Amino acid sequence: MFDFVGSPAPIRPDLRYSYINTWAHFARPGPTLDSGQRLALLAAARRGTAASRAGDEWFGPAVADLADTLYAKPAAMNGAIVRTAADEAGDPTTVEVIGLVSMLAAVDGTHRALGARQEPLPDPVSGQPTGNITAGLKRRRTHIPVPPGPIPVVLDLLPDEGAAFQALFGPQYMTGWEMALDDFRRQPGLNRAQIEIVSSRTSMHNECFY
Amino acid sequence: MLRESAKAFEYDLEMAAVGDPSIDIGIPGGNLLLRFVDSILTDSEPLGRLHSEIIAELGPEALLDAASVFGNFEMMNRIADASGIPIPAAGIEREKALVELLDLSGFLRH
Repeated sequence: MFDFVGSPAPIRPDLRYSYINTWAHFARPGPTLDSGQRLALLAAARRGTAASRAGDEWFGPAVADLADTLYAKPAAMNGAIVRTAADEAGDPTTVEVIGLVSMLAAVDGTHRALGARQEPLPDPVSGQPTGNITAGLKRRRTHIPVPPGPIPVVLDLLPDEGAAFQALFGPQYMTGWEMALDDFRRQPGLNRAQIEIVSSRTSMHNECFY
Repeated sequence: MLRESAKAFEYDLEMAAVGDPSIDIGIPGGNLLLRFVDSILTDSEPLGRLHSEIIAELGPEALLDAASVFGNFEMMNRIADASGIPIPAAGIEREKALVELLDLSGFLRH
């Protein structure tokens, strides 16, 4: 698993293990969806076929639109798409979909950047949704209910999804400790300024101010 | 963060290059990294050629770093825009010159 077939660069063990953990996370029952539902959504988003699968799968057209747009056309994402999905499926399921599809985009994006073969999605694990949902959160001029705080906490309506999201920062980008250092440098590898060139240009293409 | 880190390394950053990669960004390998992102997202030039150039100029570990940072921001951009996390007005005001320089005002609509 995660052999990055075709990559011209060696893979750091921390990155490989983090992606193995992400796949295990995808395969487990989530807060509102069982494993089969999570993986069906991810497979459809990856193929760009969620819209055509709506009704045949567990999700309806609004969730399908959210998944397809979020995976393939991030610059087209807007509050209306998210709120329509939330009206259809509820806030917790919408947040689960946002987290799953965004994490898949990360893993697939790294593979694409390396010219590596896409990793097949994992097999589902049996079990019921966990129901682990934070109570009492509300929208704070946001499209989804969030706790107060910066972007790393925005999925914390669903603590397990939030933790899986946050676990990717260090191996893919920088740990919190490293982010505090303007002169951080991976040795060997890129320094902080070079890292931020990649992040800035990617955000330009995705039309994201962050 | 690019400005702060460029300053920390005493690079003569030309921020406009983030929006126009034909401008010398003033950071070693920087324009190569801009071209790398463009190649991934727009097929502007063969990705394999960029891989070879990055490995030759910056090393294979740097290529992996660039790829994983790209992956990270494929995730962060989606989560930021789907969650609708607001950009503080003070932050927009502070970055007013940058918004104008890179023509980012349309990015604030999400």
